[in-house]
Amino acid sequence: MIEHAPVLVIALPIVGGALPLLFGLFADRLGWPIAAVTLLGQTVLAVALATTVVDGGAVSYVPGGFVAPYGIELVVDGLSAVVLVLIAAVSLGVLAYARRAGPHADSFYAQYLLLVAGLSGMTATGDVFNLYVFLEITGLAAYGLVASGRSASAAVAALKYLIVGTIGASLYLLGAGYLLAATGTLNMADLAGTLAEAGYDSTLVLTAFGLMIGGLAVKVALYPLHTWQPDAYADAHDTVSTLVAALVSTVAAYALARLLFSVFTVGFFDAVPIAQTALLTVAAVSIVAGSLLAVAQSDVQRMLAYSSVSQFGLVIAGFAVGTQAAIVGALVHLVGHAVMKGGLFAATGIVERRTGARRLAEYAGLGERAPVTAAGIAVLLFAMVGVPPAVGFVGKWYIVVGAVEAGTWSLVVVLLASTLLTLAYFARLFERMYFTAPPSASTTDATPVPDGGNGREAVSTGMVAVVVAAALLAVVLGGTAPLVEQIVEQTVSTFPHP
Amino acid sequence: MSDAEQPGLYVESTVIMTTVRVVTPFILTFGLFIMFHGADSPGGGFQGGVIAGSVVMMLAFAYGIEATRDWLDSRLVVAIASLGVLTFAGIGLGSILLGGTFLEYHRYPIEKASKYGIELVELGIGGIVASVIIGLFFVIAAGFGHAIDGGDES
Repeated sequence: MIEHAPVLVIALPIVGGALPLLFGLFADRLGWPIAAVTLLGQTVLAVALATTVVDGGAVSYVPGGFVAPYGIELVVDGLSAVVLVLIAAVSLGVLAYARRAGPHADSFYAQYLLLVAGLSGMTATGDVFNLYVFLEITGLAAYGLVASGRSASAAVAALKYLIVGTIGASLYLLGAGYLLAATGTLNMADLAGTLAEAGYDSTLVLTAFGLMIGGLAVKVALYPLHTWQPDAYADAHDTVSTLVAALVSTVAAYALARLLFSVFTVGFFDAVPIAQTALLTVAAVSIVAGSLLAVAQSDVQRMLAYSSVSQFGLVIAGFAVGTQAAIVGALVHLVGHAVMKGGLFAATGIVERRTGARRLAEYAGLGERAPVTAAGIAVLLFAMVGVPPAVGFVGKWYIVVGAVEAGTWSLVVVLLASTLLTLAYFARLFERMYFTAPPSASTTDATPVPDGGNGREAVSTGMVAVVVAAALLAVVLGGTAPLVEQIVEQTVSTFPHP
Repeated sequence: MSDAEQPGLYVESTVIMTTVRVVTPFILTFGLFIMFHGADSPGGGFQGGVIAGSVVMMLAFAYGIEATRDWLDSRLVVAIASLGVLTFAGIGLGSILLGGTFLEYHRYPIEKASKYGIELVELGIGGIVASVIIGLFFVIAAGFGHAIDGGDES
């Protein structure tokens, strides 16, 4: 059965996604149990697949018996196996959060599972058009999830996300069309060879590169294409923010890396050095601009959202540098960021439910008011800044080492400065939580909370456990770097080199 | 004229009702015809599903949106969409159980399995598309107030 795992990780959540609505006709509140069972199965499948891949190398699967490159191929190598496990584990974890936090509608769980299916499909596919299809499934599910928030601003954020996201996906599709015109194939492994024949510096190939990377950069939310992202993260329901912030941009960044290494390959950057310079420049600008915008925010969730713009700049910079150490760093930081940012969004949701606080100023004295959550936030913040031995440190360290190896000194400066910038906005939050006196009881009660209610809703142990688990993972995952290094070594050696 | 242009005002018209009554079975058949043609000629579940879904819209124009909403069981629409997804996935997974790969039609022990397999998949897709179109139509027809009130069922 394990040989079918590449297609089952996509089919299972789709089947699971169809069930909540169907069973919802007969009974109430079956959405959560169905999603839990499906995602448990998904996690088992992903872990089994990952162990197979780590032991025995990349797995390829051709559905329908249509032989690649004409048929669609699913390929799971070390890189995609890591991301598949991340998707399954994070979505299962967020489900524990959703149990109490809601939304409880059956349609929410259907969309939740569809999102997981789309993300898994983007990760497992070996075909650039198939990637577009899953990109759209992911996008549509994410738009719907963002819109499921209670406030009207969630609907506006979702509309903005829909318009910008669709433009991004269309750019990607256009680029895939150019690739087809240039080479006559859409299979990634096949493209790697035929692109070299078509000539890396031909106008068609260059245009395809620009369009595809540009389209994915919208989905990753690199500056200045990030405009959909802060609204979508901050205005959506807390559960949705956690899931989307942890996974959607992460998988888009993975797809971008997949294009760089499996389709355009290292040979493209050798032939067209300006493409690498351009990508590095965008990444560096994103790092700096994202941090500066984060410093300027007074709403904590928006600050976290802009922080993602900066952190994904780091990840893309690591992939664009392209040395082995930098790729390891980018992958570690990709996974680490997903865990840390997911945990932080989950924590802000808990804080809002418990105290009604949304803005930085309202976080004053949180260390006394909600000690466990505040401690979780503090650990995640320091992990994100890059205090050893947390995963944030390991990722950034490898990226910097890679950049030094490649001799891109200006990038090294930006990378080191980014740590200080991250500290700049997270230190403000930390200072508020632990070194500012909590407001007196009368002022908290008088503080009006937007979006109705007094902001004090039930917080379950499961919700706090998600934050604690994320904080622990953020510390522990740093130790997995040698494993990632081994995986990347295996995978990179399978990347075609010129 | 000015009365008819006001939103939400339904005018009963014998001409429209009679025409819809006569044309409806043909349109539904045409929708199925298009769906079944996905295997070997232009057509398929997406186009056919939209045509089949448009039948309900025509009924709504002829007999009033609220009347049609009451007449149509929303559970049926949801069930068709879910079963459509399960049909597609079931055909794909069934071929795995028969020892093939996902969606490997000719593993099924019937004649022209590939053709009938694709047609069944297209029928499933058609059901999904038709249900979604019908659902979207009723949601939009209900207006914004409903959407915001009913946004979260928790």
